[in-house]
Amino acid sequence: MKLQAQYNKISIASSVLVLLIAGAGYYFLLNYVLKDQLDETLRVEQAEIQDFIQTNHSLPPATTYKDQRIEFKKSDKAIPQNFRTLTLYNAEEKENELSRQLDFPVEVNGQYYIASVTKSQEDTEKIIAVILLVTLGLIVLLSMLLFFANRFLVKRLWKPFQTTLNSIKNFDLNAPSAIKTEKTVIYEFNDLNENISMMTEKVVKDYLSLKHFIDHASHEIQTPLAVVNSKLDVLIQDPGLNEKNLQDLQAIYDAVDKMSKLSQSLLLLARIENNQFSEKQEVNIHAIAKNIIQELDEWIGEKSLTVNNEISELNVNMNSQLANTLVANLIINAIKHSGRKETIELQSCKNTFTISNPGTQALDGEKIFDRFWKSEYSDGTGLGLAIAKQICDHYVFLLQYEFRAGMHYFSILF
Amino acid sequence: MKLLIVEDEKELAASIASYLKNENYTCEVASNFKQALDKIETSDYECIALDITIPGGSGMQLLKELKNNKKTDGVIIISAKNSIDDRISALRLGADDYLVKPFHLSELAARINAIIRRKMHNGNNIIRFNEIIIDTLAKEVMVRKEPVELTRREYELLVYFLSNQRRVISKNALISHLWNQEMGAGESADIIYTHIKNLRKKLHEKGCGDYIKSLYGMGYKLTDQ
Repeated sequence: MKLQAQYNKISIASSVLVLLIAGAGYYFLLNYVLKDQLDETLRVEQAEIQDFIQTNHSLPPATTYKDQRIEFKKSDKAIPQNFRTLTLYNAEEKENELSRQLDFPVEVNGQYYIASVTKSQEDTEKIIAVILLVTLGLIVLLSMLLFFANRFLVKRLWKPFQTTLNSIKNFDLNAPSAIKTEKTVIYEFNDLNENISMMTEKVVKDYLSLKHFIDHASHEIQTPLAVVNSKLDVLIQDPGLNEKNLQDLQAIYDAVDKMSKLSQSLLLLARIENNQFSEKQEVNIHAIAKNIIQELDEWIGEKSLTVNNEISELNVNMNSQLANTLVANLIINAIKHSGRKETIELQSCKNTFTISNPGTQALDGEKIFDRFWKSEYSDGTGLGLAIAKQICDHYVFLLQYEFRAGMHYFSILF
Repeated sequence: MKLLIVEDEKELAASIASYLKNENYTCEVASNFKQALDKIETSDYECIALDITIPGGSGMQLLKELKNNKKTDGVIIISAKNSIDDRISALRLGADDYLVKPFHLSELAARINAIIRRKMHNGNNIIRFNEIIIDTLAKEVMVRKEPVELTRREYELLVYFLSNQRRVISKNALISHLWNQEMGAGESADIIYTHIKNLRKKLHEKGCGDYIKSLYGMGYKLTDQ
């Protein structure tokens, strides 16, 4: 739920509730005051009647004037004075009306009468109705006012927040631009903006230094590796080396090779991230795959593999070096993980390139493209697929892995 | 013939010098910009192995100096930098080749040999080893005046061996020379073995001596001793 809707809900509900309670309170209070006043009028009438009897020793005439009516009824005893509310038929207005009546005893020449003074409550009712209407009107008006005020005012109040939020949404670590904020008088938003700006600046700085660190570290490793390699090349010239010595040297060679490959791969990853392959051109995936398969011909032959290159014309606009690396890494991966005499299929369909090779069980599709992730049979660097993924991410291509019917499928949607 | 190695990492320079030094070559080493500049101004070298990042200046500046002085020394860049841009700018400035660190000394030797062969204008595109003659321009191999039919890999291997005569070449150096280190080490070792076996057989059929010796399968050496 939007903050504004939530705020509207609470503020409108509470004001309606307060107005309803106030309306009810008003109603009861007014009802009480007006009835009391009516009763007071009836008492004044009573006093007048009693005065009249005192002076004239006879009953005043029974009258019906406007909304007031005086009646006398004979009675054999003095009844107690009593106020009551009753419905009477008004002949004039031809309708039943609520009325207030005071019954009290009077005595004229030893005869008891019940005197009744009745006054219509119609006016009181009218006042109450008007008041209720006004209250109701107020509720509606206030709700509407609140609703629109919230809508416009709150929207305006939150505008700096929206600006900041949009800027955060568009923030890209790979192409960082300063977070755009709006100057505002609201302390909280200024605080938020300040902290977000500080945070993003720090993140960008850390990210850049991390990227440069990988770049530098990979570079700096090359020279010591070159020293080790050259010393080994000189060392194996020694005619006094025996088989054991040479085996140990072989192990060192292999380790140096692996380390060199690792740092080259990390450097490549860093370079892709750093956008250092901006040059683009139309590359023919079929031709690239064909070249790579030719290059790996002996390896394929050694494992007695069949590689079917059934890619039709598939041209992609990207850096040719990266295209080569991408396709090569996928093909090498397939060759590496194929058993003897198996078949690797390269296919294309519209904008999709798929490479498949037989396998016994599905790989972990979540982790397969992670850096340094390796299946237990792999002796590689664990970066080949990570590099392929990074290249695809760089161009917003979709690289997917799937295991279907005993086959590993790697596909790229260009 | 004189070679110059411009490299600030002394141990690397020493290894290169000791590997390249033989009956044909003498090696000099410069470990900073000033030394290197003095040397290239005072004498001519057949080939210069040049590091780009050296104390006191840049290898690129040295390249410019060479060009300005109209020197014809061959230059091979040896650098830790591996980007296409670095290569292109070095080659534009007149470098003949570009080798990325870490490299095998046999690879450096083969490339220096190739540069020197190209630099010689008197048609010196011939490499010899006893009865083996390779014409690198025509990519032809002759043994006792008879052509030998070799595959591309076998030819590359033979040229590599002849560029590193009488020296042990590690299996890893052969692999990275032939395949740019794309394959796993285990797989390519067997393939190297097969290629060398075939190469020896083809040479032997033409009456060539068996010069390629194996050192327990971890290295190979072309030798007649």
